[in-house]
Amino acid sequence: MEKRKSLIKIKPKRYKDGEIVKVSFMVMHPMHTGMGKDKKTKKLIPAKYINSVKFIYNGKEITNMKVWESLSVNPVFTTYMKINGKGKLTVKYTDNTGEVHEKTKKIKPKG
Amino acid sequence: MQRRDFFKKLGTAAAVTAVMPAMSFAGDAKPVSPNKMDYNTAIKTITGGKTPKVSKKVKLKVPEIAENGAVVPVTVEVDSPMTESNYVKAIHILTSKNSNARAIDVFLTPANGKAMFSTRIKLGGTQEVAGLVELSNGDFLIASQSVKVTIGGCG
Repeated sequence: MEKRKSLIKIKPKRYKDGEIVKVSFMVMHPMHTGMGKDKKTKKLIPAKYINSVKFIYNGKEITNMKVWESLSVNPVFTTYMKINGKGKLTVKYTDNTGEVHEKTKKIKPKG
Repeated sequence: MQRRDFFKKLGTAAAVTAVMPAMSFAGDAKPVSPNKMDYNTAIKTITGGKTPKVSKKVKLKVPEIAENGAVVPVTVEVDSPMTESNYVKAIHILTSKNSNARAIDVFLTPANGKAMFSTRIKLGGTQEVAGLVELSNGDFLIASQSVKVTIGGCG
C-alpha cells in the first residue's frame, strides 16, 4: 500500500478555548473516477476514490462525510470546529479499494 | 431460383442488423460510473420526495467561469446559529450533468460551531452546481449557480 501525504491545517494558528476555528484536511490522492483513460496504454484506469472522511475530536465524531468520485485530485476538506479543551483531532479516511489512512493533530488552546 | 436468392439475402441482412448494434455498443460505449445518478433523482433520494426551497440563507460560492474543470473550488455557507436545537444537519454538493450528480454529502454537528464547507470538485462540462442543505427541523434549502467550463475535467 502506498503511503500518502496528508496535512491538517488550523486557522488561525493561535486560538483560545471556545473559539471557532477553520480546519482543513488535505490529502494527496489520485481520485480516479474509473472513467478516465491512460493516455499511453489507452486502457481505463480502475476507480480509486475516497468514499468516507471523518473528523474526530477527543473521541467524538464532529463531521462525517460521504464522498463520491467527482471530487478533484488531491482533495481538500474545509469546515469549522469549536475548540473545547486540550486534546487531539483525528481525521480518518477510507477509499473504495479499502485503503485506510489516519492523521492526528494536537489541539493546544492558549489562554 | 430468384425467390430463393431473395430469401437468402433477406436472412443475412437480418442477421447483420441484429449483430451490428450489439457490436457498436461494445466498441464505443462510454464507461459509466458505478454510482450513476442524475440530478433530479439525487435530490429526490436525499430529500425523500420533498421539494427543497430556494433560499438566500444558503450562500454558494463557485466561480462563474472555470478555466479548468478538473479543479473547481466550491464553498457552501449557511446562516445558522448551530445550537443543539437549531443547526444544519447536512450539506450536499450536487452537479447537474456529471455522471454521478452527487459530489459530497457532509453531515455536521453543533460541535462545528459554524455551518460552512468548502472543497474542490471536478466538472465534466458547463453545468449547474447546487448546494442542498438539510436543517435539524427537517427543512431543505437549496442554492444553485451555473458554471461555465472551458476544459472538461472528467475523462
